[in-house]
Amino acid sequence: MKKLCLLVFLIFLTSLAFLKYGYAFGSLQDLIDSAEDGAIIKLEDKTYEGNITINKKIEIIGSNKTVIKGDGTSNVVSIRSPGVVMRNLTVMNSSMDRNSSEEYAAVKIYSDGNLLDRIKISRSFHGIYLSQAHGNVVQNSEITGLGKGEIANQGNGLHVYYANSNLLKNNKITGTRDGMFFDYANDNTISDNEISHTRYGLHYMYSDHNRFKNNIFFFNTGGAAVMHSSGLTLSNNQFIFNYGHRSFGVLLLSANKIEIEDNTFFLNQRGLYIDQSTSSSIRKNRIIKNQIGIELWASSNDQVFSANQIHENTIPAVSLGGQGQNSWSENGVGNDWGRTLPSLDLDGNGIGDEPISYQSSFHQLIEDHELTYLFLKSPAIAVYEKMNALLKKNKTMFEDTYPLVRRGGDSIPLVWLLLGAAASLTILLKGRQWLCITFGKNGRKT
Amino acid sequence: MHYIWKEWKENIRGKGLWLSFGIVILVSVIILYKSTILSFDQGFYILLLTLFDSMIYFIPILCLFLGAFSIFQEKEQKTLVMLLTRNESYSSFLLKKSLAIQAVLVGPIFIWFLIYILPIKFYFQLDGKHYAVFLTSLLTLMLVFNQFGILIGSLSRSRMQIVGYAIITWFYFFFLHDFIMLALLPYITYENVKLFSIAYFFNPLQASRVFLETGLEVYSFGHMSKLLKSFMWVKPGFFLIGNAVLLLLFSFLLAVALHRKEGLD
Repeated sequence: MKKLCLLVFLIFLTSLAFLKYGYAFGSLQDLIDSAEDGAIIKLEDKTYEGNITINKKIEIIGSNKTVIKGDGTSNVVSIRSPGVVMRNLTVMNSSMDRNSSEEYAAVKIYSDGNLLDRIKISRSFHGIYLSQAHGNVVQNSEITGLGKGEIANQGNGLHVYYANSNLLKNNKITGTRDGMFFDYANDNTISDNEISHTRYGLHYMYSDHNRFKNNIFFFNTGGAAVMHSSGLTLSNNQFIFNYGHRSFGVLLLSANKIEIEDNTFFLNQRGLYIDQSTSSSIRKNRIIKNQIGIELWASSNDQVFSANQIHENTIPAVSLGGQGQNSWSENGVGNDWGRTLPSLDLDGNGIGDEPISYQSSFHQLIEDHELTYLFLKSPAIAVYEKMNALLKKNKTMFEDTYPLVRRGGDSIPLVWLLLGAAASLTILLKGRQWLCITFGKNGRKT
Repeated sequence: MHYIWKEWKENIRGKGLWLSFGIVILVSVIILYKSTILSFDQGFYILLLTLFDSMIYFIPILCLFLGAFSIFQEKEQKTLVMLLTRNESYSSFLLKKSLAIQAVLVGPIFIWFLIYILPIKFYFQLDGKHYAVFLTSLLTLMLVFNQFGILIGSLSRSRMQIVGYAIITWFYFFFLHDFIMLALLPYITYENVKLFSIAYFFNPLQASRVFLETGLEVYSFGHMSKLLKSFMWVKPGFFLIGNAVLLLLFSFLLAVALHRKEGLD
């Protein structure tokens, strides 16, 4: 009798546990359907067949090897209830159909206030799709696209459509079409994400007042393409190695009142590319070693460039299609042009004693012929510019009235000091015959 | 084989080879040192591109001088005449000599850049395939300019001629060729862009750079316009191979046709 009672008690306890902490039996959808509102479902280290729809406020927790695999016909996970939490899962295999009326995703969110944490996504059209979903958090997730050669056959890593006030944080996206796509999405915060090997790291349209900070965009065809939007803030982001033919770190196209501050633009084909945009503020950025630091079209006006470090670009800044009304200094603070455009500062106030202007004839070729970009690394550009300067074909690209002068100046690289010292020593020791002796008769003087 | 051995012994007794290797090693070490502050993921690519950009400033001119003086030395020491009297044709001599020069000049650089992998692996995320692409671009550049040097050595009758020809060749490929291309650019249309492409990739500096940047997957020719697609009508690897084969053959045949057996002593 005692044994029977014990057995009944154990069965009762187990059933209670199943009600609160569901375990995977049957399909995952059955498990979700049978769970109560607020339940926590812990999934095992195995692959669950999708697709699933979540219609109630539950928390799904996986472990390192938990996979939800879609059947390739639709979204793998559709979240339709607010307040859903998903953690530590791999989601894969959504439909890749580009002709359907709906764009599919690994995780598609239709509701507000959800949390996705540590979700790994692969083999899906879009990664995570926020559709008219507000106040969600997507963090610590990894979205891997189909990669090289398949960029156009797939969707975006994070697709934000008519969705406001979301937080997208600390995600890694690689190999998708666009890393993040924003369409009619406002007041979102996007921070600490890494986006690489996509078409545009950020594709941003008809969206206002979003904040991007501490993100890294590298190895993309274009870093961030901001179009038809206003009030965006880009701060402390890095745009690195967006290096393809006509690539850019940031493109502003028909974008207004964009704040670009404290960002790094390094080794891009064009650091900043601004067209048909107005009233943006570009301050305190490091625009270094790009082919063209800033490409500014005449259709853009009222841009302010101040306190930027614009160093070692093949062409620091170029104005195309004529001169727009832009300002290269603000409140007596211009930009630091490094060794490209050195300036004297005899009074030691950190501001150059004379305004500097940059003359170039290369802009005409850039305007006229797209193949010009192939020559941006050629030493011949320097010769071309000098020749045209002699022929007085140069035009003023910009004038900085208050150029910044770095105290102490640029130090000569150690390599050149050493090489110079070695060459001087050789000439000194071997005299005028050094070349022939060095390269000629086995180093023997004759 | 004895040509390689002879070339090696002659070169290691001279200072030219050591000076060139010294510069390559010094520059590569300093660039590595300066790159150690870069990120683990991207630093590798930045290092390789910076290294290539630095090397193209002196590798071509050093190869031109070393190749040319190596041939000229055979004339100067009368060993060329001695070799040619043993029923050996100039083309046969030049082929063996070219192989020897290429082996002696390219081999040690190749070995150095294999050793260079060790510190790279320590500081960055090494990608073997991409490193092979870098080595291919750099060594192809060396092969081509060594052979140009051999051509210059075969043509020249004095050291001053060598200096003159070498500087002209270097100046042409470094500045003049691209300058001419830039001057032609306004006349390029969809109809003649292939010809322009051939002329553009005739410059080994451009061919190897494009091969490197696309091979490292940092430079993308994705989403090309119709004009650019016509310009890139074959893959960058084929442009590099075509360039190298054409220029190696051209230099070799011209050296055979226009060589001078003796210097102006």
